[in-house]
Amino acid sequence: MTRYVLKRLVGMLVVIFLVLTIAFVIVRLAPGDPAALMLGPEATPEEAAELRTQLGLDRPIAVQYFAFVSRAVQGDLGTSLFFRQPVTEVLAGRAEPTIFLSLFSLLFALIIATPIGIYAAYRRGSFLDQAAITTAMLAASVPSFWTGLMFQRYLATDLGWFPASGYGGPDASFLDRMGYLILPSIVLGIVNSALILRFTRASMLDILGEDYVRTARSKGMGEARVVLRHALKNAAIPIITVVGLTFALLVSGAVVTERVFNIPGMGNLVVSAVLRRDYPVIQGTLIVVATVYVLINLITDLLYLLVDKRVKY
Amino acid sequence: MRLTKLRKAGVLAALLTGSALAVPAGAAGTIDVAIIGEADTFDPMVSTKDVVSIVTQHFVETLYTFDSGWNIAPLLATALPEISEDGLTYTIGIREGVSFHDGSSMDAKDVVASLKRWLEVASRGKLVADKVASVEATGDYEVTITMKEAYSPLLSLLAFSNSAAAIYPEEIIAETIENVVGTGPYMIAEHVPDQYLQLVKFDDYVSRDEPSDGAAGARQQTVDEIRFVPVPDPNTRVEGLLSGQFAFADSLPAESYQRLEESDVADPMLLKPFGWPIFAINHKDGLLTDKAIRLALQAALPIDDMLFAAFGDDNFFLTDGPLYPEGWAWRNEAGTELFNQNDQAKAAEMLKEAGYDGTPLRILTSRQYEFHFKMAEVAKMALEAAGFTVQMDVVDWATLGQRRNDPALWDIYITHSPFLPEPALTSLYDKTSRLGWSNPEKDQILTDFTTETDMEKRKALFADLQAQVFEDVGFIKIGAFNALSGTQAGLEGVTATPWPFFWNVALPE
Repeated sequence: MTRYVLKRLVGMLVVIFLVLTIAFVIVRLAPGDPAALMLGPEATPEEAAELRTQLGLDRPIAVQYFAFVSRAVQGDLGTSLFFRQPVTEVLAGRAEPTIFLSLFSLLFALIIATPIGIYAAYRRGSFLDQAAITTAMLAASVPSFWTGLMFQRYLATDLGWFPASGYGGPDASFLDRMGYLILPSIVLGIVNSALILRFTRASMLDILGEDYVRTARSKGMGEARVVLRHALKNAAIPIITVVGLTFALLVSGAVVTERVFNIPGMGNLVVSAVLRRDYPVIQGTLIVVATVYVLINLITDLLYLLVDKRVKY
Repeated sequence: MRLTKLRKAGVLAALLTGSALAVPAGAAGTIDVAIIGEADTFDPMVSTKDVVSIVTQHFVETLYTFDSGWNIAPLLATALPEISEDGLTYTIGIREGVSFHDGSSMDAKDVVASLKRWLEVASRGKLVADKVASVEATGDYEVTITMKEAYSPLLSLLAFSNSAAAIYPEEIIAETIENVVGTGPYMIAEHVPDQYLQLVKFDDYVSRDEPSDGAAGARQQTVDEIRFVPVPDPNTRVEGLLSGQFAFADSLPAESYQRLEESDVADPMLLKPFGWPIFAINHKDGLLTDKAIRLALQAALPIDDMLFAAFGDDNFFLTDGPLYPEGWAWRNEAGTELFNQNDQAKAAEMLKEAGYDGTPLRILTSRQYEFHFKMAEVAKMALEAAGFTVQMDVVDWATLGQRRNDPALWDIYITHSPFLPEPALTSLYDKTSRLGWSNPEKDQILTDFTTETDMEKRKALFADLQAQVFEDVGFIKIGAFNALSGTQAGLEGVTATPWPFFWNVALPE
């Protein structure tokens, strides 16, 4: 297994290097001048050109690329053009809201989706099964920005149950800040619960039809034990896969939800960075996202070992 | 300032997180202001962005400012300057006893160093730099600016908070200033990028004695803290205001007006008028270098329809031709018979006479400001009805900012501006601008306008300049539009201005 993990880590480095290169090229192919944006509407073309020189943006692309790569391998992702801060610092500042928003959303989605998915499979064709499938379809079909806007308007603004937006001011404690994440977590949780519910149900349906489940029942084993111990354990691999992918997607930036609720996380940052043409931040974010994605995939694969002894690497 | 509703919000969040109060209560006398985005610099000299002006005016001050009637008034200067008869020498008295936030005292040396930097690094300072012979300290608290030629907009430039002639301690003057130190009533306590900028009262602030009038006169530190919160999504600003999270929210969508009006928590604040949409015309290259085609373009545009499509409600626009609104000193009617002709048949005839060959008219616009795009869509239909071939280049704002700097890439780009207190504060009239509008008659009028010191003569010259805008189609003003902001119900002392400020603001009991 050690060899497998090492192999995957080497593969991860290759992926990150490719992402780094693609990110560098793509952001420079996009039109738009960060210098003109920084100076404001009344600045002249000459002033914009002067600032581009100061920022090193007028150097040949190859020179910029090699400078970027040589710094990146030392862990230096450059300096944000907009914030004039190291990109690593900018990204670190966005980690807390994004990580906790992802965790809460996933937790919320799992709490809703897993029991309903199991029960829907167990009572296949029942009213609850049909209702669960319809609701999941609905939740997956409604765009998260709409759900976010509705929840914000009615639960936060009208009813006053939650803060409408933001992440707290200077006097906000850690728990205060977490309070700001509840409503966006519910919105993201609802959207993501649909996929987890469908995967749980489908996976459980496959397993519940297996011979060993019938055997367990014929031996007189209780239904709860059959479903939760035998069936669920064997149905876990596809569920873990989808949960892993969902978490990776959430961490890489719940762009729309962060924007609607003004959460200063990675998703909001990357949107702003694109609009501001803050090349180093866009590149840095993509590298971090790629790393997180690959790591979560690796962790997901390793989790298979825990739930299914037949899996060998 | 926090409202009951926000407390309620805290209760549920608190129950869920176990926190004492999920929404921070905020100190008494704290005002939260939702702004459209993050200010990327706190040095207002080096930026012409309005959001930078809005934020920095609270901690950085200039020698002069504007009162509610957009008249120039002293701020760090003792009084309006003594100007020599020939308009070449400005003697400026500097206030004694003014402290910077670092504890040092302001004197003439700080002012001279700051003004010299402004002439070197600020977009607006550079406009005047070649006309300035010297800036010297002629006493501990007196500065003299000597001009090579008379330049009447100088005081407006020194008073403007945008690309501002900010006064800093001499010790921190450098090409790039990392930590801005000002003299304003508030100073920076903490900045968390994209989250908040916390300003606290500057205890040693010495206010002017005159009654408050616009940005002029006394600046009272009526709230303990001001927190600027960047909220890029306009709908989120509305919900934040209506939920009691913000005491002021800037730049709200017109559609939210009714909700604000019906709300017990917040009130709408309409700045009427805020500014003017502009079709900026490329005089350097391409189709519109031909005056006959420019006149056909002007004849075809249905300004009223464009404004209605853009703003959708009469409350938010005015189909008004003169370059300045009613009540402004610069208001005049010269040339406005050519405004809003909406005559595509006439335009078609003019195009025929001009020998128009069907070359596409390229309109460069963005959906960053939806009203720009909507105006362009209506203009396109009218122009095509007149016989123009129209090419819409719809790009994001960053791309527009880049492309408009290359005259080969556009014929018209769409922008907008607030009404500025002095016409010369905009570069649109200047032949060195990216529009490159130049003809001998207009250039001479502009020179006379900027060198004339007598206000009545300047007004007459501006009327001539306005006539030129229409007769030579220097650029096209698409009427005027209003801006919607919102305040917490009961908030007092907020002035409706393109650059809102929060000293003198009183929170409800």
